[in-house]
Parts: sequence; C-alpha cells; structure tokens
Amino acid sequence: MDGQPKPRPSGSKLAYLPGAESITRIDPWWGLVVLVVGLTVTLVTVRADPFWRILLFVRDGVAVTALITVSAFVFTLIAGMIGGLGRLSRNPVIHGVATLYVEIVRGIPLLVQLIWWYFAFPVVVQGIGRWLNIAAIANYQANAIVTAVIGLTVCYGAYMSEIYRAGIQSVPKDQAEAARSLGMTHFQSMRHVILPQAVRMVLPPVGNELIALLKDSCLVSVVAVADLTRRGREFMAVHFNPIEVWTMVALLYLIMTLFLARLVSWVEKKTHFER
Amino acid sequence: MDVRKGEVVVIIGPSGSGKSTLLRCINRLEEYDAGRIVVDGILLDNAQNINAVRQEIGMVFQSFSLFAHLTVMENLTLAQRVVRKRSRDESQEIALELLTKVGIPDKALAYPIQLSGGQQQRVAIARALAMNPKIMLFDEPTSALDPEMIKEVLDVMLALAKEGMTMVVVSHEMGFARAAANRMILMDEGQIVDEATPEKLFASSHERTKLFLSKVLHMY
Repeated sequence: MDGQPKPRPSGSKLAYLPGAESITRIDPWWGLVVLVVGLTVTLVTVRADPFWRILLFVRDGVAVTALITVSAFVFTLIAGMIGGLGRLSRNPVIHGVATLYVEIVRGIPLLVQLIWWYFAFPVVVQGIGRWLNIAAIANYQANAIVTAVIGLTVCYGAYMSEIYRAGIQSVPKDQAEAARSLGMTHFQSMRHVILPQAVRMVLPPVGNELIALLKDSCLVSVVAVADLTRRGREFMAVHFNPIEVWTMVALLYLIMTLFLARLVSWVEKKTHFER
Repeated sequence: MDVRKGEVVVIIGPSGSGKSTLLRCINRLEEYDAGRIVVDGILLDNAQNINAVRQEIGMVFQSFSLFAHLTVMENLTLAQRVVRKRSRDESQEIALELLTKVGIPDKALAYPIQLSGGQQQRVAIARALAMNPKIMLFDEPTSALDPEMIKEVLDVMLALAKEGMTMVVVSHEMGFARAAANRMILMDEGQIVDEATPEKLFASSHERTKLFLSKVLHMY
C-alpha cells in the first residue's frame, strides 16, 4: 500500500515504551478502507459507464439492505435476550420451549426458513383469521420486507440466545452471590449486576452476528425483497454485464461491512472494563 | 450454636471442615438439609423472607466480590438504592462516611480493578456495612491477601468489633481472634468440636484442638 508509513516490527525495543502503541500498530482497517473506497471511486469515475449507472440503479437496494439489517438486528437483540434467559430458566416448560426453539431453528438453513416465512406464514395467519372469524387477519397479505425481517429475526435470535446464555453463565458466580447477600432479589441482581457484565462480555460475538446478518440479508433477494443483491440481479438481467455488476455489488457490501465492523469495535472499546 | 448480639465469634478449623459452609448457611447461600437457623428471631425456612433477612446480614467474601463494572461509590450505593430504597444523595453520604471509616475516601470514583487487594476488601466491608446490617459474616476475609495488606483489613474488623457489631468470622488469623473474639469455635469434618474463649481454647486439653493449634500456631 503506497503512502502508508511502515509499521515497526513488534519485537522492537521501542514497543515497550508508553505511547509507543499508537505508532507500532498501524490499524489495517484504514488500509482496507482506503483500498476499497479508492477502488470504487476509481471505477465509478474512470469507467462511469457502466459503474456509475450501476451505482445509481442499486442505491435504493442499499437502503433496503440497511433497513432490513438494522431492524432485524434490533429485534434479534430482544429475541436473543428472551431466548437466552429462557434457556437458563429453572422452569421446565420455559426451558423446554426455549431449547426447542434453538434446536429447531439451528437445524434448518436460513434460506429455507426465509422461503418458508414468505410462503407458509401468510397462509397460516389467514387460516387463523378464518378460524377466529376476524376478517382483517383472514385477509392478511404478506409484506415481503416484514416477513423477511421476521425470518431473519427468528433465525438469528436462536444463535443470539446461545450467545446471551454463554455470556450470562460466564459472569463469575461470586458476583451474583455478593448481590444476593446484600438482599437483592434474583431479578434485581440480574438487572444491576449480572446482565450489565454479561452484555459487555458478549459484545464481540454479537458484533460478529451483526456483520453476518448484513451479509446474510442478501438471501432476502430470493423472497421478493428489492435489496442490493436483487437490484444487482435486475440490472444484470437487462444489461448482461455480470462482471461489472457483481464487482460493484461486492464492493458496496464490503464498504458496509467495513464500517459496521469499525462501529462494533468502537462500541467494544467504549464499554470495556477490566475484571 | 448461639450468637448473642454484640458477640464476636471466630470459627477456626482445617480446610474442608465446613466452616465456610456453616457461615454461608446463615444467609442461605448454601441450603441446609436438617435443623433450624434462626436469625434475629426469624426462622430461615422459606424463600419469601430470605431477601428481607439478607438485608440484615452483611457478608464479606474471601475473593472480595466487588461489582467489577461499577465504581467504588456505585458499589456502595447500589444495594442501598435498590434494596433499602434510599435516595441517591443519602446513599452517597453514607457511602462516603463508610469509605472514610475504612480509610480510603479518595478511592470513591475508582474501579475495583484499580485497587489493591486490601483496599478492595475494605470497600467490600464498607459495602456490607452500608446496608446497616445487624450481623456481619466474614468468610476468610484475609486469606486471599498479600501479607502486607492483612493488617489494614484486620484493623477495620477490630474497630468494628469494638463498636459492638455482632460478627461471625471464619479466619486463620489467631492474632485477631485473641484480640477481638468473645468466643472461638473449632470445627472438624462438619462438626463443632470445641468451643471456648480464646484464652481457654489456646490452652485447651481437647485432642483435636491441640493438634490443630500445634500445626497453625507455629506461624505466629
């Protein structure tokens, strides 16, 4: 990479001095961002046809992808918390339901789940509406984006449940003991002592899930959602230039994931605490 | 076993003798299978009253168990606000008073990781005292400390004893026992084997006591 100062070898004696850290470790992320954004801008300016036209065409797909990813992520965080607590519950019914949920969802490929949600779910809802005799439900028409978000939430929620469960279990037992011995109820000790620590501990895997979710969101292109991938396909169907289209789409996904990864590590740094 | 108000009872014995378990039964961190435990007239049998009873019992652990994600001040005020429902100002005042009492008012905004072991344990004692308990339980409070820090913690405990706090202490610190204990109890294999004032216990003619003390007292 031209124009980048060479990183000092980590075995350097100077590496041990205070303040040396910022010099000895060049953040590779910046290098990658410069490369990717630079490449994209170069393509779009030097070969405006077709790259600029592709970019203009797919940009609303970028918005849809972002919307789906963010919404699914927010709901997944909630679903994961519920599922994780369910998996830790001593109540056999709650524990059973949560375990069933996790095992079933983790056993079916995401694409199949998304297709099921798109085709089967509305039929189920309509059936319930007819049985309950409520016209509004019986006439339910699937909104592709809504069913896509539901499908993604249900699937990623299962993985998130296991992450939460592991996080809660990894908080040392003495923290809960100390909280309870002060007279806090189970709920209070969870809310003020255990969960705050568990959440910080699971930020790395949760961040990973968010980035995976962004990439897996491309599967919704198969179930009638006009996301980035689908817009790319639409452009290609008309103009027959797969190499340019998919290069552009790939670069756009890469830019999104790079910035998302950066956001995740920023959040991790902000909330990190030493034990 | 009875503990009267204002008494300081020190429990000693070999590892595995059940000293910590006995202590932890008092605030039900361990379940017991038989017998009765009565704290301040309240029978410790059903889950309903356990949280209320625990408010009156302060416990200090061997590993300090400070809440790692909170500052010292937050450690001290959390239970006060959440359990005793005190206001933020009131709980902070009490916290600052107690921090001064244990000797580290300047560390109020530090995080536990930034404190030495002795300081952490003193914060832990202050945290327990912030709830104004009627009885304090100490589970080997100095066993995880560097020798240099043991004295600062024992001094705090001694001062507490002199103020008349009811204390049950599991410890190997014979010096502290001699100075502060009204009674000492020797446990072995889950049973109370001997019980007397410190002077009488150190001079006891009981076989098990003599054996244990001979192994331990050579250090002092």
